[in-house]
Amino acid sequence: MDEKMSIMIVDDEMIVRESLFHWFEKSGHKVDTASSGFEALEKLEKFPFELLFVDIKMPKMSGIELLEKVKEEYPDTIVIIITAYGSIDTAVKAMKLGAIDYLLKPFKPDHLSLVMEKIAHQHKLASEYRYLKGRLEEITRFDNIIGQSPEMERVFQLIPEVAQTDSTILILGETGTGKELVAKAIHAKSHRSNGPFIAINCGAMPDTLLESELFGHLKGAYTGATHTRKGFLEVVSGGTLFLDEIGEISPKMQVDLLRVLEEKKITKLGDRAPVDVDFRLISATKRDLEKEAAEGNFREDFFYRVNVITIQVPPLRKRKGDIPLLVEHFLEKYSHETTKRVDHVIPDAMKLLKSYDWPGNVRELENAIERAVVLSKGRSLGVEDFSFLRPPSVLPSGTRSLREIQKDYVRKILEEYDWNVTQASKILDINRVTLHKMIKRYELQRTPSTGP
Amino acid sequence: MSPTEPRIGVLPLGKVPEIVSKSIAAHILGYLDLDADILPALDDPSYAFDKRRLQYDAGAILKSLESEPFQDYIKVIGLLDVDIFVPIFTHVFGEAKQGGKCALVSLYRLRKNLDGTIASIPILLERTAKVALHESGHLLNLLHCMDERCVMHFSGTLEDLDNTPLYLCRYCSTYLRDALSRI
Repeated sequence: MDEKMSIMIVDDEMIVRESLFHWFEKSGHKVDTASSGFEALEKLEKFPFELLFVDIKMPKMSGIELLEKVKEEYPDTIVIIITAYGSIDTAVKAMKLGAIDYLLKPFKPDHLSLVMEKIAHQHKLASEYRYLKGRLEEITRFDNIIGQSPEMERVFQLIPEVAQTDSTILILGETGTGKELVAKAIHAKSHRSNGPFIAINCGAMPDTLLESELFGHLKGAYTGATHTRKGFLEVVSGGTLFLDEIGEISPKMQVDLLRVLEEKKITKLGDRAPVDVDFRLISATKRDLEKEAAEGNFREDFFYRVNVITIQVPPLRKRKGDIPLLVEHFLEKYSHETTKRVDHVIPDAMKLLKSYDWPGNVRELENAIERAVVLSKGRSLGVEDFSFLRPPSVLPSGTRSLREIQKDYVRKILEEYDWNVTQASKILDINRVTLHKMIKRYELQRTPSTGP
Repeated sequence: MSPTEPRIGVLPLGKVPEIVSKSIAAHILGYLDLDADILPALDDPSYAFDKRRLQYDAGAILKSLESEPFQDYIKVIGLLDVDIFVPIFTHVFGEAKQGGKCALVSLYRLRKNLDGTIASIPILLERTAKVALHESGHLLNLLHCMDERCVMHFSGTLEDLDNTPLYLCRYCSTYLRDALSRI
């Protein structure tokens, strides 16, 4: 065995636990024992054991029940069933439920040794598989938009359809919804996929810099232009240009880009000779450009030029059904990146994640999972791991009277401001006398401090 | 070797041919560079006999040996000519706890060859020496070694044992030196 594993022996007989413990200890594995299925599950909650030896016949929770639970919650954990009451039926059942092998005790020392060799081999293959899968996901991440809600299904259907055309596309969606991922997916599925994909955030740079970045410049075109530089519109030739936050660009730049889109030519700053360019433009915005165009804040002709096809990426709060899938994806990603085995979100925490509004959308969810994984001490994330999330803006479900809601809200604000009536009344936008009356009416009392 | 240097005790339990004890003591000196003395034999460990399995419980014997002081010896290797077992296994050739004080070596299954014939004395001596060195390694905190050309490689069958050398690989030799320097 070239790899040391973390092993737990689950058996109600101490003598068996001890024998196996000492045997594995001699090979340098990290070994722990549990005398019942419940104890094993408790220990698994805290530490990601890779291999479990489970006795079939145990009181209260049988080995088969434990096997089922382990395979449900920790499918990567390898389980070997051991028993003195062996029968083909139980062996077949255990194997069907996901046990990798079956040992009838007492077994020959070389038998256990062979089983361990087999496991080490499988463990190695699984590690390689996880590594390669991670690499593949990294490479194909552009195509890796997570979601199975009807709203996302519509986006998925649209992507290959529009990818085949060369029309300009406008992607609409709130910040953090994954507009760039959609753009990358369109690029990847288009005939331009062998060409470059260049993404520029128009909102992040001043107009003059954006012009220089897009069009390029000749040496000496302006102070500081010490050498000739190709612009992205030229560099992207044959590929796809993704302009994020297109609503932020100036009217002048809108005119310049409109001309490029119509003529398929650009002229570098300080140059006179136009250069042919060939790219597909995908833009994105979180603003309502149609409205802005109608109000005269955005050039209408440019709007229609960039908006041949529109794709609407829904905000996360409108596709909450995708949250478990996204959570699973980010857990896997950050467990891999941080090398911490956190692979589970307990149901209450998932409920919290699903009830939260996610104003920052998928990006906020990703950050929340990353933060929770980095700070977590166990292998599963609980409600307390997400205490940093702002409380959901939606009111708790259930039928509640206006009086109850008002009472709770006033109490919450008072607690938040340490019962400073002046500050609380400012937040509630009522005068202090009214607040005092409310405190009296609702019989609100300060919760005594329990101390540190 | 001065009297203060660490010594290993070789302890026959019941009737064990003297040549086996002597051979083991010589191998411990030769391969582990530790002086070894043959201790006066103790009685056959009948208290550890398991009537159901018709074998001797290695754990019970070790527990009994661990309760003895053996003050002059850092480790003690018990030799016996009966079939020993630990609960999960059908049998063992030897047994020791990692970093423990006492180990066991059983001649019982080392006497026979795979084809059922009786092993010659040199083969028996070589096998018992290998098991004794392997278990001594565990007492000195050495782990099972991946290298098949190392006495700390796990041997589950006589065939494996016969293919295992008497010596330690260079990594295990380093670990051994390190372990001895801390005694």
